[in-house]
Amino acid sequence: MAAEKSSIITLQSNDGVSIDVDRQVAERSMLIKNMMEDLGDEAISTAVPIPNVNESVLKKVIEWCEHHKNDPQPAQDDDSDSRKKTTDIEEWDQKFMQVDQEMLFEIILASNYLDIKPLLDVGCKTVANMIKGKSPEEIRKTFNITNDFTPEEEEQIRRENEWAEDR
Amino acid sequence: MSLKTTQMHESKAVLPAEIIATILDYLPIPDLLSFARTSKRMQEMVYEDSRWVRRLKSMGVWNDGEARKRFEDALRARREMMRIKAEEDGRSARSGTNGAGGVRKMSMSTTLFDAGIEQERQKRSLEMVSKTVSPVVDGFESLALSPSVTKPTQITRAPMLNPEELLDIFSSVKSIRGSARVEYGKIYAALAPFYLDLARSKSHMDPVIFRVYRDPEQQAQMLAHLQLFAKSDWADGWRQREEKLVTMVGIFENAVLREFEHGYEAWDIDGRMRRYAHVLGILNGGHAAIELFVQKHPILTDREILHNSMDCLNQASSDSIALGPSRAFLDNLSQKLIEQADIINRVFPQGEDVLQILLDKVAEDLLMEYDATLFDEAHARSIPSYLQAVSGIFEQTMQFGLTLKPSKNSRDDFLEKFKSIVAKIFEPHVDLYLQDELDYFKKLAETEVGNWENKLSAEEATTESYLMANVNRQADKKDFLSSFKKVVMLPVNAVNALPSLPLSSPFSLGKSTPAQPTPNRSSLAPAAITSATPRSQSPGSGPIERTGSPLPSEAPTDELAAKAALMASKLEGIRSLFSIEVALLLTHNAKASIERASKFVRLGGQTGEEAREQCEAIFICLLQILGNRHIKAGFDKAVDHLSNYNPREVSEHHQGVAPLVTFLELVNVGDLISQMVDVFYEQQLVANKLSDRNDFLDPAGAAKKKFEQMLDERVAAGLNKGIDVLMDEIEYICSTVQMPTDYNPTAPADGAVPNVDIGPTKAAQQVVGIVESHTKMLTGSTDKTMLDVFNQEVGLRLFTVLCKHLKRQRVSTDGAIALISDMNIYFLYIRTLRNQDLLQYFKALRELSQIYLIDPKHAKEMATIIADGDRFHGIFRAEEVYEFAERRADWYNVKRDVERAMYGIGCTSM
Repeated sequence: MAAEKSSIITLQSNDGVSIDVDRQVAERSMLIKNMMEDLGDEAISTAVPIPNVNESVLKKVIEWCEHHKNDPQPAQDDDSDSRKKTTDIEEWDQKFMQVDQEMLFEIILASNYLDIKPLLDVGCKTVANMIKGKSPEEIRKTFNITNDFTPEEEEQIRRENEWAEDR
Repeated sequence: MSLKTTQMHESKAVLPAEIIATILDYLPIPDLLSFARTSKRMQEMVYEDSRWVRRLKSMGVWNDGEARKRFEDALRARREMMRIKAEEDGRSARSGTNGAGGVRKMSMSTTLFDAGIEQERQKRSLEMVSKTVSPVVDGFESLALSPSVTKPTQITRAPMLNPEELLDIFSSVKSIRGSARVEYGKIYAALAPFYLDLARSKSHMDPVIFRVYRDPEQQAQMLAHLQLFAKSDWADGWRQREEKLVTMVGIFENAVLREFEHGYEAWDIDGRMRRYAHVLGILNGGHAAIELFVQKHPILTDREILHNSMDCLNQASSDSIALGPSRAFLDNLSQKLIEQADIINRVFPQGEDVLQILLDKVAEDLLMEYDATLFDEAHARSIPSYLQAVSGIFEQTMQFGLTLKPSKNSRDDFLEKFKSIVAKIFEPHVDLYLQDELDYFKKLAETEVGNWENKLSAEEATTESYLMANVNRQADKKDFLSSFKKVVMLPVNAVNALPSLPLSSPFSLGKSTPAQPTPNRSSLAPAAITSATPRSQSPGSGPIERTGSPLPSEAPTDELAAKAALMASKLEGIRSLFSIEVALLLTHNAKASIERASKFVRLGGQTGEEAREQCEAIFICLLQILGNRHIKAGFDKAVDHLSNYNPREVSEHHQGVAPLVTFLELVNVGDLISQMVDVFYEQQLVANKLSDRNDFLDPAGAAKKKFEQMLDERVAAGLNKGIDVLMDEIEYICSTVQMPTDYNPTAPADGAVPNVDIGPTKAAQQVVGIVESHTKMLTGSTDKTMLDVFNQEVGLRLFTVLCKHLKRQRVSTDGAIALISDMNIYFLYIRTLRNQDLLQYFKALRELSQIYLIDPKHAKEMATIIADGDRFHGIFRAEEVYEFAERRADWYNVKRDVERAMYGIGCTSM
């Protein structure tokens, strides 16, 4: 076990940069963890390509994994109903997520691809917090959404959901 | 449905739909709906029905079954519509459209493009609210038309205006596929203002809920709603909101509980207690009030009903227990609990079974303690009283359960529940009790048999001589046998006629009221006392005394008991072998033990199973001690006696062979005991479902079979020996009683007619008498097949003995008459055995005897008879008949003639 922990894995981003990480850190990613289990030790000697992630995002993700390397592994079978159990974003993560929006989305996509559920959750919560309290127009601006409603249609939806407005 | 199609310009990163869906889950409701307004694709995702169904489900107000039913109803209505339309239009390609519509409907975006459906949709109202995928105008029109959409709007406008209506908001929620969002909207509109207000409030005075609603009932109702509603809130910060709510509910609950407690202390049943119990019931089921009610219940501290359990021990003699005080205690308790059931009915709302909880508490605090102290003390004092205490209290407790009245909240399984309470009370005791019960019985039985054996060995010497001397009283023996047989038959009759009576009555009376010592107990006494009396008498005392003593002065409660007593006294002869009274005593003890233990079988479950097994164990123990230690030893001894018997050593010879008679009696007694065991098994184990007769693996059944088998083996072994002995005796009689002159009378000197008395000789009469008396003794006491085998064997052996005997005699023509009479009497006797094969032998013997009658002058005829094999049914060959013919007194005179007639000239050379 001790030997396993100290071993180093080389990850290769899609722009060709190799980054060495502790196996323990890398295995926060269920994708890598499962791959290691499938391939065994031989995988350690060769670089693992991460085709969907560029260097800066990969470094960011590794930074997160480094900080969270001692967290308990999330339960394998957590389904959508356990969402209730999710906690608020911890302080370090909040700071970690203070990046531009493009990076935020890249992190989310990377964590989705690498199957790092806690990071994905933090990302989603961060996005949710960005949406909170904004008007539809502000949301559109933030997320670059094209409005394909006519004003009447939009008003119609607003009326439909008036019940949620009084706070 | 990925975001690609939403054309997020300038941003390279495109979030896939599943991630957007996750993000949406973290949004508070208002933001979620703002998000819906950004674009059609977003609206579609937000409106996704399953998203809202999940929220409804989290509050427990979504019913899949109801939703499916509505959906199917709607589908059917629509199909009907299509069919009608199809008929109207003749035929068209609309069926294709229909199919497409069906598929869409599954994905919750139901729209029918047919203009004709438009009217129908209005009819269907809520069920089939069309959603966004439809052409814009169409979809919005339908939404505007649908009353389900306009209704929440109204509620939203005036959530505070009609607060009473909001109180049962959940009851109006419907499970409709496709409009979960609308339904959730109704709830949200009603509750969210209160909920969010409460989450923001600083102190318990703040929340608007307490200002809108003044009644505690309404406040409780609203708080209960909010607690439910909080379950559907999982946006950021839900934890704080929920905590706030829980705190608020706690404060409210405490306040109400305090009111309830005040009411409780004032015993204001129909006033404050009732009111606040109901408030708490509305709030969260009212556990707090119930707990308080039960914990502080006066019944638990009521001195009046707390009895000292030691009374039960102190009021009884050392080996028993008085169950009166405990009964009084339980009766009193039952009274109180019935009163409480009424109060509970008045105070508490529907729902929780408060009486049950109170019962649990009472059982735990009062009964358990009462029982534990009593049992511990009893166990320390004496085992019998402990055994009686455990089973007696158990019985009373079960009774106690029956007297209780369920309250209106009690379920149908009130008695079942009570049973489990009883099981809990007795759980710590049952194991020890069952073990003790078995040990106690085993010890008792062993002591009993041991005592008897000790007494026996002390008397060994006298008994031996007595056994031999016993032969003197043949008359008494016969008398005894006749009455004995009656008793043997009795159990069988009794089983048919009085199923409950045999064995049980003498003891069950004494046992069920052990507190009352003598009067009832005496019913068991006949067996013990009366049988003890003759035993203590000197062995030589006359039969009259003995027949007198066993009849108890008081009328026996039970016929069998009387008979058993009678018989026990009559069984003097075999008392050195084994004793019926010991057997009876053991069975009775076993019965008492089993009856006590079997009560626990009712508890069911593991305890019940253990109790049942223990009952079987007691039964098996009974059989082992009774069988192996008692009966087997007796039989072995009897067989020993038999094999030591030598007729030549015995001075007096009467109608019986003493050891054989003893042995046959033993067989009878053994059979009686076996029947007793059988009855016992049927009555105690099978009838009470403690043992399954058809289960061949059942240990009790197996033990019983083994016991019977053992008995049969002993009987068979003994009978084998017995036949030997019987034949020895017959040979002895033949050789001693048969006079040489019997068959060969010497002609008197004066030439007068010799021996006018034509009839069987004395020897023959004695032989028949002895065989008959012995074989008859067995009738009805052993297995029919065994009896047949026995008779067959006796007959054959008798035949051999007679043949041998005849070959030793010399028979004259005059004596032939006597011989023929003898053979006749044998034949007649054998005929009573109804055994055809056997009869042939004796028929042949009878035929054979006629050869002695033939006058010497007719030697030729004699030869014919000798050679005539058919005449003897093939039993004697000619050579054998010839041998018999040699026994003629005048053989040497006729031999030549006969041989000539038989073998012709060739023989003359002899």
